[in-house]
Amino acid sequence: MPTDGATKRSASDDQPLAELRAILLGPDREAWDTLRQRLDNPSRRAEDVAGVLAEAVRLRSDAKLRRALQPLLEEALQLSVQSNPRMLADALFPIFGKAIRKAITSELDSMLQSLSQTLEQSFSWRSLRWRWESFRTGKRYAEIVILRSLLYRVEQVFLIHRKTGLLLQHLAASTAEAKDPEMVSGMLTAIQDFVRDSVSGAESENLETIRMGETGVVLAYGPDAILAGFVRGVAPRNLTRLFQDTLDGIEEKKSAELHSFDGDTSEFEDCRLRLEACLVGQGKAEERRATSRAARALLFGTPVLLLLALAGWWIYSTAMERRWSNFEHRLSREPGIVLVSAEKRGGEYYISGLRDPLSADPGALLRAAELPANKAVFRWEEYHSLEPRFAAERRVEELKQELERRAFRFATGSAEVPPGQQFLLDDVAAQILALLRAAALVGKTVQVEVRGNHDPLGTEQFNAMLARSRAINVQAALISLGVPAARLRAVAEDRDHETCSAVSEEERLFCRSASFRVIGTP
Amino acid sequence: MLKKKICMVGQFGVGKTSLVRRFVDSIFDERYLSTIGVKIDRKDVCAGGTDLTLMLWDLAGEDDLAPLNMSHLRGASGYILVADGCRAATLSKARELQQRITKMLGPLPFVLVINKTDLRDHWEVQSADIQQYGWLTFETSAKEGTGVEEMFLALAARLTGDRAAIGKSAES
Repeated sequence: MPTDGATKRSASDDQPLAELRAILLGPDREAWDTLRQRLDNPSRRAEDVAGVLAEAVRLRSDAKLRRALQPLLEEALQLSVQSNPRMLADALFPIFGKAIRKAITSELDSMLQSLSQTLEQSFSWRSLRWRWESFRTGKRYAEIVILRSLLYRVEQVFLIHRKTGLLLQHLAASTAEAKDPEMVSGMLTAIQDFVRDSVSGAESENLETIRMGETGVVLAYGPDAILAGFVRGVAPRNLTRLFQDTLDGIEEKKSAELHSFDGDTSEFEDCRLRLEACLVGQGKAEERRATSRAARALLFGTPVLLLLALAGWWIYSTAMERRWSNFEHRLSREPGIVLVSAEKRGGEYYISGLRDPLSADPGALLRAAELPANKAVFRWEEYHSLEPRFAAERRVEELKQELERRAFRFATGSAEVPPGQQFLLDDVAAQILALLRAAALVGKTVQVEVRGNHDPLGTEQFNAMLARSRAINVQAALISLGVPAARLRAVAEDRDHETCSAVSEEERLFCRSASFRVIGTP
Repeated sequence: MLKKKICMVGQFGVGKTSLVRRFVDSIFDERYLSTIGVKIDRKDVCAGGTDLTLMLWDLAGEDDLAPLNMSHLRGASGYILVADGCRAATLSKARELQQRITKMLGPLPFVLVINKTDLRDHWEVQSADIQQYGWLTFETSAKEGTGVEEMFLALAARLTGDRAAIGKSAES
């Protein structure tokens, strides 16, 4: 059959063609086979694309590729957030945490600024001091006000590994009483879990404050660590910021160690310096309170004391003024004193005028008025007042002096008043009676001593008797002339006191006498 | 200083708190257990020449009304499973807890403690029951204090990878 023959021929014809083809294309054919295999095998194709993908994307970095990738990336992100939000939150925390804090800080800054403006209006001693501090330190006034108004002290700082609740580092102020910080750290973490579970809070939500009486806990959170501070007093808002900044710094520096932490806390020894910066405080609350009490006492006490002192001085000086004025008045009314001038100069009183020697003693009047004698300077001109009282007194004085000039002379050894002197007795009696009357007029009672005397001749015993007899004889004679006996007293001259030691006869005559002395009784 | 967080888990009433009471330093009252569900104590041990501080989280025992709060287990380096020798059910519970913890945290070093050896006459738990799991197991008496220190030392050795100490503790 031709067809059979043709087929046979063509088959036999193909043989050499195939051989020829194998000779010509042999080496290339292997390469084609390899290529075909690579194109047919999807995993091989993926490997090939992966090798050039990065380069291809780099070459094709235009809007078209971005548009193509956008929905894919969005979807991927959405899926990631849905399945594990924590991962993305942790990844974004270093950026967002800082950005959010920055935003809040700037917001607070603007608030501080407006507060500053309000405070600028106020004015007090304390604000002046703060203003000076603000000027000196370059801080804003409002910042100083907040700093100085809050009293607090960070007593303990705990750096805690978030996942395990283990204590990484602990610092306590020297005076703080710290219970086992390891256990406190663990319990603090457990309490957070407890609170979160109790309020069904999300994993990303944190316990922010714990407060008990005047002690509180400041908490700052990072992805792997917690920084907690026990604070006594009222913590300022920026304390939380300080804690957060400190923790951020530690997280940044110790990120790897915190991730792979397996209980070895020695890796965190070098964080102590940073943590020390958190042990801050604004004085000791009690001390400041005491100080402020003292300051308040000083502030209010000083003017009160001054006022009291002023009032006291005013009351005293007014009383003294009144006394001086009363004294002046008294002087001006005093008989026998004519006040010419009274003035105060340099704290002393200068008083001058006319004064009768018989008038009252101004010094005694001053003492009676309870005025200091050293403050008064008197200048008196003497004069005789025409006051009846003074005239009467002067008359008494004249009569007294006249009487005391009188004397009776006796013969040697005799006590009898010589007859030649009898007439003197009437005169003396009249004088004594006049004196008694004048004294009665000025309200005085006087007594007259009749003093007997003797000359140096003769015995002592005889002379004593003689002197006494002479006095008694004169006294008796005067009584007989009407002088009241009660007003007369006979005495012998006291020898020791006034011994008559005359030697000539003339002098001896004077010694043989009886004389008078007036004794006034008020 | 090396520190490790260790949790004590087990059914309600197996004696977890009694087990640690005489062997640890504590500043917190036991009322914490019933209020916030956990109490933290501290145990310092020396394992293979390494000083180790175990922070023991004594978790409130699980019962039908209050399930174990698994969030307290986060970050633990190991745990102590406690069962009561007088109640076989507590061993099953320990097994269940072990599975749950492994599922959540992965394989962690742990020891099984069968407590109340002082009441051995009343034990329901048999040696075969214990051995079937092949766990490092200690029989203790919180009341008499037997086996407790050894248990802590063995766990510490496991945590620090001190094989010799583990073997020695297990033999004893």
